[in-house]
This record gives sequence, structure tokens and C-alpha cells, in this order.
Amino acid sequence: MAGERNPASCYLDERTFQLCCQLFLQHSETIQDGWSWEQIKGTDEGFMKKTVLMPVKPSVLHKQHEYSIQDENMVTDDIQANVEDETAGVQAVCEIHAVLRYEYHVLYSCSYQIPVLYFRASTLDGRPLSLEEVWSNVHPNYRQRLQQGPWDTLTQQEHPLLGQPFFMLHPCRTEEFMKPALDLAQAENKRMNYIVTWLSVVGPVLRLDVPLSYSTEVSAPD
Amino acid sequence: MSDNAESPTETQKDDPSIQHAATEQTGASDEKKKIDVLLKAVGDAPIMKTKKWSVERGRTVQSLAQFISRFLKLEASEQLFIYVNQSFAPSPDQEVGVLFECFGSDGKLVLHYCKSQAWG
Repeated sequence: MAGERNPASCYLDERTFQLCCQLFLQHSETIQDGWSWEQIKGTDEGFMKKTVLMPVKPSVLHKQHEYSIQDENMVTDDIQANVEDETAGVQAVCEIHAVLRYEYHVLYSCSYQIPVLYFRASTLDGRPLSLEEVWSNVHPNYRQRLQQGPWDTLTQQEHPLLGQPFFMLHPCRTEEFMKPALDLAQAENKRMNYIVTWLSVVGPVLRLDVPLSYSTEVSAPD
Repeated sequence: MSDNAESPTETQKDDPSIQHAATEQTGASDEKKKIDVLLKAVGDAPIMKTKKWSVERGRTVQSLAQFISRFLKLEASEQLFIYVNQSFAPSPDQEVGVLFECFGSDGKLVLHYCKSQAWG
């Protein structure tokens, strides 16, 4: 979308957001990456959604004072995961890990005019993770710097479209990592898919993997 | 730009798996285990005096980012972002060897990097 955008701007209009998502979703379908589009009934609004089962080191959940109870819950999680999950990969790590359920939502923010990543996380028995536990599961590559931010980078927010409690990765740093990529694409006369670039940066912060094939297989909107 | 520019000997001691790429050696015996990486600054990121590096295939993006951050003497609060194929951020856990297989051309992997503002 370089041609339709102010070269210095890293902002995204909602129409372009939806087009980028559509193209993103097509590839997700191709590689069975699990993303879906959720349309809010009766509106033009919608968001992308993906749910992931994630094995983590048990220490991620060692953040509550009910330590011994946590241990029991974790053992239960492991056993439940073995029984309920048919994915070989998840079963293989269940013996020594706890399994968490992360649900990621990619929303458009009208006020910031950029995408924002919302997510919620819970144990397999449905207990929502605390903010502290979520922090301990932030990728170490980002954890220290995010925690040094002058404002809360990871906050608990009401989901703007669903009205349920979620966590949100604050979009304040978006320009810092989007602008260089956008400028570079424009200098090279290449168009890029905003959502692919954006999600490839923010996703791994919260353990969301964006396969490399998105980089080459997803086109930019016309 | 010369690849014989001042050596970051301190960082080389810390990271034996990341070394200067010598322009003359294209058929080095460890060719299969290491790949050539070309680092390009974008935005207002500092430009590295030495841009070409030989990196072990198994090295992760996170590890390489830490190396670059130390080399550029970034502050602890500054975040480095690395892009492959110009506009895609590989996962920090991704191995550079895999990136080379997917995006390498002319025997090297081009990676762009930029940094965030330091807080405070």
C-alpha cells in the first residue's frame, strides 16, 4: 500500500486493514495455520482470531502463592492434555510441561489507526492467567525492554468488540518497528502487506509463531 | 568498505560462532556449517563498520540480535528489530541457517535491522 499512503506515515485505514487480513487469511487457510475471521453481526467490523495450545515450562505458572495447589493443577493439566489432545507434538511435551491455551485477536484500532493485538490465556482447566503469569511467558528476547517502558505495555483491557476481559499489547511502539520496514519497502519500490509485517514483529513477543511462508506467499492489497 | 576493519575482538571471544566473513574465502572448509550474513541498517540505526559476518547455521535470530546490540553498544532499554526479505521479522528462535535456505541469494543472507528509542 505504499502508493496510497503518506510516505512518512505508518498508519493504516480500516479498509486496508481488512484487505490485508483477507490476504493473510487466504494463506493461513493454505497452510492450515488456524486463523479465522470473526465478523461482528450487523456491522462492517471484524477481527482475526487464532487459538493455540502452548506447552510452557511449569515455572511460568509458579507465580501464585498457592504453590502446592498449583503443582496439583499442573499435574492435572498434564494428564488432561495427554487424554484430550491428539496432536502428537503436544503429547510429547506434556510429560514435563504445562499446557496453556492462548487466544489471539488482531483488531483494528480506530483511535490509533493501526492494528492491535489482544489475547487471553488460560490453563486447560479454564483458569485465566494472571498478568504476572502472562509476563513470565513473554519471550525473553523482549521481556526486559518491555518491562522498562514508562507505561504499561501489557495491560488488561476490555475487548472493544466482545466486551470480555483480555490482555492487550499496547500499540505505542508500532511506529518504531513499522516505519523502517515501510520506508524500506517504498525505497525498493515494493509493496508489503502491513499485517504480515506487523504480526511477524508482535506475534513472537507473545509466543505466537508466524511461519516464514507468510513473507513470500501473501501479497499486498491492490 | 574493508572486511579488515577493526575487529571487535572482545565480542569475537564471546561469540566464536560469529566471525568476520573473509571476502577471499568462498570455499572454506566450514562453509557448510556457517553462512554469510550481510547486515544493513535501516531508519536511524547505527551502521555497523563490519557488515559481513560468518554465522553458524544453528545460531538463532535472538542470539544474533544480542550480538549486534552489543557490537553497536545499544542501551539495555533499546530494542533491536531484525527483518528478513526486507519486511518480515523472523521469530527470535529461528535459526539463521533456515533463513539462509529460504531467503539467501548470491551466497549470503541479507538482514535489515533497526532499533527502538531508548526510554527515559
